[in-house]
Amino acid sequence: MADVNKQTIQNLIQLCRIDCTEEEQEAILVDLQKIIAYVEQLQEIDTENVSPCNQVMEGMANVMRADIVGEKMPRSAFLANAPSQVGGMIRVPPVIKSS
Amino acid sequence: MHTLSAIEIRDKFLKGELSAIQIVEAFLDRIEKYDGQIGAFLCVLRERAFAKAKALDEKRSSGAKLGKLAAIPIAIKDNIHVQGEISTCASKFLTNYRAPFNATVTRLIEEEDAIIIGKTNMDEFAMGSSTENSGLQKTANPWNLKCTPGGSSGGSAAAVAARLCPLALGSDTGGSVRLPASFCGIIGFKPTYGRVSRYGLVAYGSSLDQIGPLATTTADAALMMEVIGRHCECDSTSYLAPEEPYLTHLEGNIQGMRIGVPWQYLEQLAAEPKEIFNRSIETLKKLGAKIVDIDLSILKYSLAVYYILATAEASTNLARFDGIRYGQRSKRAKTLDEVYDFSKEEGFGSEVKRRILLGTYVLSAGYQDAYYKKAQKVRSLIIERYKETFKHCDLVATPVSPFTAFEIGAIKDPLQMYLEDIYTIAINLAGLPAISVPEGFAKDGKPLGLQLIGPQKQDARVLHAAHAFETATGYHTAIPQLVK
Repeated sequence: MADVNKQTIQNLIQLCRIDCTEEEQEAILVDLQKIIAYVEQLQEIDTENVSPCNQVMEGMANVMRADIVGEKMPRSAFLANAPSQVGGMIRVPPVIKSS
Repeated sequence: MHTLSAIEIRDKFLKGELSAIQIVEAFLDRIEKYDGQIGAFLCVLRERAFAKAKALDEKRSSGAKLGKLAAIPIAIKDNIHVQGEISTCASKFLTNYRAPFNATVTRLIEEEDAIIIGKTNMDEFAMGSSTENSGLQKTANPWNLKCTPGGSSGGSAAAVAARLCPLALGSDTGGSVRLPASFCGIIGFKPTYGRVSRYGLVAYGSSLDQIGPLATTTADAALMMEVIGRHCECDSTSYLAPEEPYLTHLEGNIQGMRIGVPWQYLEQLAAEPKEIFNRSIETLKKLGAKIVDIDLSILKYSLAVYYILATAEASTNLARFDGIRYGQRSKRAKTLDEVYDFSKEEGFGSEVKRRILLGTYVLSAGYQDAYYKKAQKVRSLIIERYKETFKHCDLVATPVSPFTAFEIGAIKDPLQMYLEDIYTIAINLAGLPAISVPEGFAKDGKPLGLQLIGPQKQDARVLHAAHAFETATGYHTAIPQLVK
């Protein structure tokens, strides 16, 4: 079984970009260790010749529509929920750090 | 009025015995009187409901044709969008998010003249089995205020059980309509995957989620299914099939219906729920059903499969909540990375964080084969097992839950909480239709639900059998003492 430790949690936090306090990290470590130990039982099952389930309904295929403009959402509706906006665009802190 | 079913209320409105305004006033009064103790609603849409009621009374006077849900007040789980209203998903992240579009189900029910009366509480982002994970408020079970209403559609279930409205919509990813229905003594139906559009439902586990009705009668659930059970062009997982007349298919007996029971899998059930389940099976026998012994032992792996696949899907689905385009952006954030880190830290509750991290783990390089791909393979085996089983029976019966509603705060261990879903979860893995129908009360007065499961696309058969059971037993007519 994979060793789930403090480093694992820190790596995951980096991947998800969710900040967690030290306390939260400790609690999550305990929980994740328990849950991963629980799901290890799947290794008991022989799935050598089994295809992974990608679709729960048989015969599902990509559904495409014609590339025609349909109902439009006005920009104002979209921006109404934006935390910060300027000139009709969403404002964020700088992406590229200036030296 | 609160003892009437949704259909009865609609019919009284259509006949002119009740006005839509009277109906809305009556239910808003009940919400005012009881919801302080229950906490089912995150927001009550008084103005919207009155406006719709006024319009409906005018429409009726004009002689225009009225919809199938005319004047029925309906509560909507807060992860389903109602345009112009806040959708919080019971998360601190979205307390200011106003839905810019209607969910398909919202549009469909409004087209049939329903009155949306409020948005209901839930576990945050639908992650939970008790509604205790709501980031915003607690909901209590109307049968016992110390207990949870189940989850994640606990608000919708509590609202219907307390007769604060006759009908509600919830969402079910691992049992989230059926479990609260069982804990609250009402009907909860999860359709076949793809029968109801997920457009406008905030996604948790996209291959598992389905919207379903919570109601006091199977007829009301069937009526709702007639309205929402149709193909949607905006949801590429919704299947192409005509709407079905579920109400017409409700009546009639279940003589000769073969009902499979996985007795071996139910061995661990405690004495009281086992006794009540056995009694339900006897009822089904008396109604003419033939009980068949089936082997569903592979289901013991279903929780493990679910907690890998659902969390993996959730980690992807919840990545959009990053504080950039919508939701609460952290005021502490000075850099772009901090917008992500701090907004999520402040916005998400601990269960949501736990599931996102777990989902990220099982998808991460080096572990994907061992966990995610393995779980997908076991999912295939579960689907095959059900297909094989349904060659020998028409429906499967199990309890909905090993327990009745537990006390708020009683379960602290997340893994123990996950075990609440043991009988409901595999159904979502296989995309099957399933219902929780009230099957009686434990000695402490708390309700229990019988689960009936059908093969894919046999939603009508499930509703039909539940109707026969409901008619024979009458448990669904019981109303909690608190709100009589």
